[in-house]
Amino acid sequence: MKKIIIGDHIVKSFGEGDEKRNVLDEVSVEINEGEFVAVMGPSGSGKSTLMFALSGTDDVNSGKVVFDSREISAVGENELADIRRTKMGFVFQQPTMLKNLNILDNIILPSMRGNRKNAVKITEKARALMKRTGIAELEKRNITQVSGGQLQRAGICRALMNSPQIIFGDEPTGALNSKSAQEIMDIFFEINADGTAVMLVTHDAKVAARTERIMFMRDGKIVSELKLPKFDGTDMDGRVEKVTVKMWEIGI
Amino acid sequence: MYYRIIRNDISKSKLITLTTMIFVAAAAMLVSLAVILVVNLSGAIDTLMTRAETPHFMQMHSGEIDTDRLTEFAEQNSNVDEFQVLEFLNMDGARIILGENSLADNVQDNGFSIQSEKFDYLLDLDGNIINVSDGELYVPISYMRDSTTKVGDKAVISGKEFTVAGFLRDSQMNSMLSSSKRFLVSRNDYAEIKNLGSTEYLIEFRLKDLSALGAFETAYASAGLEANGPTITYPLFKTINAISDGMMIGVILLVSVLVVAIAFMCIRFTLLAKIEDDYREIGVMKAIGLRVSDIKKIYLAKYAAIAAAGCILGFALSFVFKGMLLENIRLYMGESDNSSFAVAFGIIGILLVFLAILAYVSGVLRRFRKIFAAEAIRFGTSQEKTAGANRFSLSGNRLFGTNIFLGIKDVLARKRLYATMLAVLVISAFIIIVPQNLYNTISSNSFIKYMGIGNYDMRMDIQQTDNISEKAAEILKTMKSDSAISQYAVLTTKTFKAKTADGSEENIKIELGDHSIFPIEYSQGRAPAAEDEIALSALNADELSKKVGEVIPLVIEGKEKNLTVSGIYSDITNGGKTAKAVFTDNSADIMWFVICAELSDPSLVDEKTSEYADRFAFAKVSDIDKFVTQTFGSTISSVKKASYAAIAVALMITVLVTLLFMKMLVAKDRYSIAVMKAFGFTNSDITAQYVSRSVFVLIVGVVLGTLLANTLGEMLAGAVISTFGASTFHFAVNPLSAYLLSPLMMIGSVLIATMIGTSGAGQIKISENIKE
Repeated sequence: MKKIIIGDHIVKSFGEGDEKRNVLDEVSVEINEGEFVAVMGPSGSGKSTLMFALSGTDDVNSGKVVFDSREISAVGENELADIRRTKMGFVFQQPTMLKNLNILDNIILPSMRGNRKNAVKITEKARALMKRTGIAELEKRNITQVSGGQLQRAGICRALMNSPQIIFGDEPTGALNSKSAQEIMDIFFEINADGTAVMLVTHDAKVAARTERIMFMRDGKIVSELKLPKFDGTDMDGRVEKVTVKMWEIGI
Repeated sequence: MYYRIIRNDISKSKLITLTTMIFVAAAAMLVSLAVILVVNLSGAIDTLMTRAETPHFMQMHSGEIDTDRLTEFAEQNSNVDEFQVLEFLNMDGARIILGENSLADNVQDNGFSIQSEKFDYLLDLDGNIINVSDGELYVPISYMRDSTTKVGDKAVISGKEFTVAGFLRDSQMNSMLSSSKRFLVSRNDYAEIKNLGSTEYLIEFRLKDLSALGAFETAYASAGLEANGPTITYPLFKTINAISDGMMIGVILLVSVLVVAIAFMCIRFTLLAKIEDDYREIGVMKAIGLRVSDIKKIYLAKYAAIAAAGCILGFALSFVFKGMLLENIRLYMGESDNSSFAVAFGIIGILLVFLAILAYVSGVLRRFRKIFAAEAIRFGTSQEKTAGANRFSLSGNRLFGTNIFLGIKDVLARKRLYATMLAVLVISAFIIIVPQNLYNTISSNSFIKYMGIGNYDMRMDIQQTDNISEKAAEILKTMKSDSAISQYAVLTTKTFKAKTADGSEENIKIELGDHSIFPIEYSQGRAPAAEDEIALSALNADELSKKVGEVIPLVIEGKEKNLTVSGIYSDITNGGKTAKAVFTDNSADIMWFVICAELSDPSLVDEKTSEYADRFAFAKVSDIDKFVTQTFGSTISSVKKASYAAIAVALMITVLVTLLFMKMLVAKDRYSIAVMKAFGFTNSDITAQYVSRSVFVLIVGVVLGTLLANTLGEMLAGAVISTFGASTFHFAVNPLSAYLLSPLMMIGSVLIATMIGTSGAGQIKISENIKE
């Protein structure tokens, strides 16, 4: 299976001198094409930092990150932006939407860059995605006029607009109630079923239990990994238990 | 606690704080200067008028005078403290030569007096009453100011020689606005020259009780005493003395209002941005039960600190410039007795600026009341609808690139915030365009029509010479046989007495000759064609209160004759008070001749000018372009300087304010920038969006500013020009510079400022700003 991301001995540190602390301490990680992985760990263990490093949204102090066979630490700022826009999708815990734009405009924003000619096609695609995620009627709404769950769906639509190879989710259900969280996870599951790789950072065992591989982090290192069979909609309780047991074993 | 909050906040936004402080300092400096000048001016006027013992009531009179009757009136009126009649020997400027310069072109009524014995003294520059010896001449201070003469110069008055012994301050006639000027000579010298001019009388009274001045005026008028001339009272003397420096103070105040407005705009912008930033926190503070006034205090404290620092700096700066601006007041009026109060009043002025800023900040902070805790905490943003912005959607956009769209959209969505920047840019565009249009107008060839000058190439002035008519005839004979001269006209200027509405007589200079050869522009009516017609310059028409078609009685060859006003024209030469007529007259003295000529080949003008100058040494021959430059050149060049200075200042304001606003916006929009970067927008995309914002605001600003400049600005400039005597005024706009170059300069500065201001956007890290 082709590897879409390879992280090789990544070191990321914050602070200076005595205060200096490695948030990522020689982390190596690989994600396959179409894989559904989760990263778990306590607050401050480095999960989000790992995600930022792997997606090229933050630089690393040492080690290298290869995305789609290209070393992104060696790629220029603009090219990196192009890669993020066309090959990656992002969903954050808080819906990162621009206040001045309505829902539809927020969704099409990244695709519209330098692509005004295709506005009609882009808008059609966005509408189709909104329909699929159940927010078709919200396109003209302001971002303050919809619920958190609806905003998160819009965020997923935005992430899917350019048909990315991978979607990064940083606690995408963290701010939602359990029903909304469930629905969002259903959407991620569908996306993955279509062949897009998904990497989720989460605290929630229930969310992680839906993926096929879970990396556990503590103090900037991946301390353990759990592989699960591809989720087929059954035995959810058993999967959650496996995750919980593993967490208890390694003490996080 | 406040100290800590302020310190943290300021260290986070050094540039913004500094810029705001600079504007506050400039505003405070100007206000303080204006106040100091006002106090010094009024003090200096009081000192001067007290020392000189300016009359409380003065009646100018020409003609027969019955001194006994006046004395009787003064003795019987219980309010009269002192009374005197002074003589004023009016003399034509052409007969007064100071050093190298003749006063022939001088627009003042120059005359001679002896030192008064009772009151209305002429003072020297130390404020002492002058004691003049025979052969000495004391000259009005204004001729020192414009360097017409200096102490020790030889002066020739109608052939009699004097030495300029010093300069005098005249509490009545110091101002350039007072149309007469008194020279001081000794009693013996006065007697010698007495027959060389016309005598006017100054009938002067000092009253015991100045507040009963009104009653005294009525008493004088109803007694039917001498009144052939203007009446001037103490308060009017005061006003006349105050007005020219008063105008300078007015300009300073006007500029300080503009600067205060800009300072307010900066404060408003930073404050609105800060409130947007802190929306959630403000909601939280409200939710935990803090009063609006408590929350306001936190914000007020910072601006109080900035305003205080700015005001102190401004006050200090005002001391640096004070001396320069006080120079004129000191020269004309001497030292003020209450200059020590000036500083105190300056402090009061600055306190006012300080309080105005606090009041303004407090006003802007009123919107805290409208912040609802729940909404603020939940959404962290205001729910106010932004009209218009929503209709403009990215999905429907086919017109602009995405970055330009986002820039414009942001401006439309946050109109309040950008309105501030817009206001500053409108002011800047106005400041750039108005002086430039004014300069362009007065320096353009067509502006000659405002000067009452026809379209000819060469002009010869003959004045102050014997056998003036024969000399003129000699020139005309030469011109007649000169094939290079295609047309010429002779205009003779003479003085006549005109009867005014109140029956008094006034001297009026009339240019006689054929005015159809080199026609000028008439703002109303047409050139005089018949013997009984006269055209008046706008200022003369104003002063005589005559309109086209009205009749003006004139004394010609000893007889009173009624002339009809045929037209009114603009004239800024000879103080703007001229008249034109075609009647023939053989009685009055010829004051001067002007011979105008048009050349068949205008390129020969230099050659012809020097040829005629060599041949007729008694005449002043000038190329008309040079003539315009000489009479009006200094005004043109100072307007030019002012317009360049205005451009520099406006561009500086533009750059500074744009820089400030862009830095702020980037700091504020960190989150949105991080989001856009995360979704694949490059740094140059972000810069393009900010450039679109500022250019969009700039375009609106330039359009509005240009419109304002061409309407309000034209009116303002017209008002200034009309004081010189031009009646109709329209900007002659140089489209290249006003509509292309100036906007380009502004766009250039805004672009540079935006690029520099948004360079910080490149350093914004996605991971730091997007983290939950």
